[in-house]
Amino acid sequence: MSLEPRTDPNPPTAGPETPAKGPAIDAQALHQEILDLGTQGMVMNMGPQHPSTHGVLRLILTLDGEEVMACEPMIGYLHRGLEKMAERRPYRHFLPFTDRLDYVCSLANNLACAQAIERLAGVEVPERAQWLRVALMELNRIASHLLFLGTFGTDLGATTMLLYAFREREEALALLEAITGARLTYNWIRVGGLPDDMPETWDEGVLAFCDLLESRLPEYDRLLTDNPIFRRRTEGVGVVSSEDAKAYGLTGPTLRASGVAYDIRRWAPYEKYAEIDFDVVVLRDGDTFARYLARRLELEQSVRILRQVFDKLPEGPIASKVGKVLKPPPGIAFSQVESPRGELSFTMVSDGSPNPVRVHIRAPSFANLTVLADLVVGNKVADVVAILGSIDIVLGEVDR
Amino acid sequence: MNPLRTLLGGLWRIFLGMGLTLKTFFRPKVTIRYPYERRPVSPRYRGMFYLKWNEEKQRLNCVGCTLCAQACPTDVISMNKVGKGTTAGVDEFVMDLGRCMFCNLCVEACPFDAIYMGDQYEFAVTEKEGSVLRIVDLAQGGPENARRNVETLMRLQAEAAEKGKPGESPKQQARPAEEGA
Amino acid sequence: MIAQALENPWIRQLVNAAMLLAVINLGVLVLIYLERKVAGYIQSRLGPVHVGPRGWLQSVADAVKLVLKEDIIPAPADRFMFVLAPFFVFVPVLAVFLVLPFSSGWVAYDFSLAALYVIAAGTVAIMGIVMAGWGTNNKYSLLGGLRSAAQLISYEVPVVLAILAVVFFAQSMSLVEIAEAQRGFRWFIFQPPLLVAAFVYMIGQLAETNRTPFDLPEAESELVSGFHTEYSGIRFAMFFLAEFANTFFASALAVVLFFGGWDGLPGLTGALWLVLKSYVLVFVLMWIRWTLPRVRVDQLLGFAWKVLVPIGLIVVLWAAASVVYAGGVAR
Repeated sequence: MSLEPRTDPNPPTAGPETPAKGPAIDAQALHQEILDLGTQGMVMNMGPQHPSTHGVLRLILTLDGEEVMACEPMIGYLHRGLEKMAERRPYRHFLPFTDRLDYVCSLANNLACAQAIERLAGVEVPERAQWLRVALMELNRIASHLLFLGTFGTDLGATTMLLYAFREREEALALLEAITGARLTYNWIRVGGLPDDMPETWDEGVLAFCDLLESRLPEYDRLLTDNPIFRRRTEGVGVVSSEDAKAYGLTGPTLRASGVAYDIRRWAPYEKYAEIDFDVVVLRDGDTFARYLARRLELEQSVRILRQVFDKLPEGPIASKVGKVLKPPPGIAFSQVESPRGELSFTMVSDGSPNPVRVHIRAPSFANLTVLADLVVGNKVADVVAILGSIDIVLGEVDR
Repeated sequence: MNPLRTLLGGLWRIFLGMGLTLKTFFRPKVTIRYPYERRPVSPRYRGMFYLKWNEEKQRLNCVGCTLCAQACPTDVISMNKVGKGTTAGVDEFVMDLGRCMFCNLCVEACPFDAIYMGDQYEFAVTEKEGSVLRIVDLAQGGPENARRNVETLMRLQAEAAEKGKPGESPKQQARPAEEGA
Repeated sequence: MIAQALENPWIRQLVNAAMLLAVINLGVLVLIYLERKVAGYIQSRLGPVHVGPRGWLQSVADAVKLVLKEDIIPAPADRFMFVLAPFFVFVPVLAVFLVLPFSSGWVAYDFSLAALYVIAAGTVAIMGIVMAGWGTNNKYSLLGGLRSAAQLISYEVPVVLAILAVVFFAQSMSLVEIAEAQRGFRWFIFQPPLLVAAFVYMIGQLAETNRTPFDLPEAESELVSGFHTEYSGIRFAMFFLAEFANTFFASALAVVLFFGGWDGLPGLTGALWLVLKSYVLVFVLMWIRWTLPRVRVDQLLGFAWKVLVPIGLIVVLWAAASVVYAGGVAR
């Protein structure tokens, strides 16, 4: 297991005199060249209403023909002030709100929030609940990555991939519905455990789904991964070097595609990940294809983890006793979770009252989105869609 | 020969992909023709709320303890409690589903087995007021049971009063539920 | 009386054209239904099932909907160009159908330069698309229109080269004679140089009909809807109609050029054979569309000029050489 240092010893300073490196084409020189010619770029507004900005992201593109000269992402169209909302209600009341952060993988948000509260209040989680949490995480990760595969295919014009991925995602959602009762906003992780045990034969359903998914993964490869047009569209497009990736604070598959082996499940194992055998998918190229492939390969690892969970799942209680009114002692707690999009962390500050004083959410999509503006410069309009799709953002999390 | 190989290799891989789509063309389809066919929902499905009806006691299980209202993060629930002790119950129970997150916290909070989420998931309404549900909409078994619940509660209170228990304040006395309110 | 009127060549051509128009429009409705069904089946769905038995009337319902819709002309649009553009796209497609032989004698107008006419008339549609892109005054439309111009002009070249190779073999530019030359299962597709030519032609036509992987002018995920982003109602319907008519024409022309035209097993009318074979090709086009992702604009042009045009030139030389070697094709 290889690990990169947590902090970059020489973080590059951002400023006008040191432009961010990364894109192969020198954007400023290109821009200057065009200005020298006396021509103006065409400003095109992509979003917030656009088929492939994945929600309500708005990109203000300055175009020279088909080429992007500058890109300015505008966020905040989905801002609901969730962090402030958390300060106005008891700890446990905030858990359902975290569903609305990254609504594609809401269990990861639930878990990160619950973990922060558990650490703040010193609550232990029973073994069985920890194992089931891992199962839920991975099942939700599969659902999320399948959504990514489908929408990424659609971004590149391969509409059929969307339907194929959704066909399998539907099975995953049915399993999640069987245990949580909801299909998208699960809210199924509580302080101290889970609200209920898994239904009988749920594990069999999950294992059957694992087999189904494994039989379908080669199909995705035939349809998309091996397709020469798809390769041409993604290989070498939007390359992020590992230094840049760290400097931008990227996490998750977006970071690991750039050759940095940083996965919270391995780096700071939570729940039962320390006892599970899985590979951290690390790819070197850092291009759009590598970011796609990282998620595609993580599906296999998730299947692997799911199988181990049901091998090792112990009997026992599903939740520990927690007082009705949760009043953690004054202090600060921090939790990290590897959500499908990257490192999701909650920082909670308590002053001993029933409400948190301050909650900060480190949303992986927000950090990953920062790289977009520099990455698309010098590429074609069509690449903007491909690169944005490969970063796999969820606007609910970006805007919070 | 390299460019030719690339071209032919690319064509072969495109052909493989097309083989897959042709195979899917003849596979059984996964479409569920929704309004005519329905996917069965899981027993835990968190759909429309209902207040559980106790056939034996001829009343709703709810005693109006407001634990669910306290557990609710978005203040969806409000209720009117009548009676106390063993005669406690509700004659009005209002849920504003326009605010509801279907988070299940109220169901988990209830110690009396009174509030549940059912399997019904079609609750689109054409006006804002439609998402505010009263006891007649929520009672298991419909408005009829909401009415019988109030009758039982009135009877229980009357019996309690006959037994010479301390009188109840007038505002706590049960009123008949307003039909269709 | 009617027979007398039909003697007049003007009236006869007019009647022919009107019949053709009806056939095309009906055919397009069938094609739209087929496209949806094929897309659905490929994507593991059912496609339209609701309107009429097995969704047969879906296209009709769509057509009615489009006709009844409000005609919206955006305020900043150049009204003249905006209104005119759909006609510029639609009319050339109808015009090329005039020379398409369905069977011997079943052709609205046959003349010796039909192959050339098809290319020339088809090219006019580019103007309509550019007009739509420019006249809408929408940046997505503009990009779509310009992409389309670059694309159609580039892919016209390999298509022309492929048709040229066929003309060498048939020793004629009349579509009727080209088809007649393939009588008795001597289809041109069986000639090695023309097999490659057919490949070049089909890829070129895929691009000319704006279908995935070459649907850049209307790339949904990038340009919302490309040059027809702001079009709605009957004007959109004309673009839509033109696109599907074009798809059918491209396939039918491929059948005439490479797959023996109306040549087939006895028992069915020639025209039916032609339509049947065209539909098979249309299915292949749809199949490709719903399998492949979209190429990027530079790759699109690069592929046309760096791959298809050289192959086309080689095919033309090869075809010419083999015709000379064989001392002309037997006819």
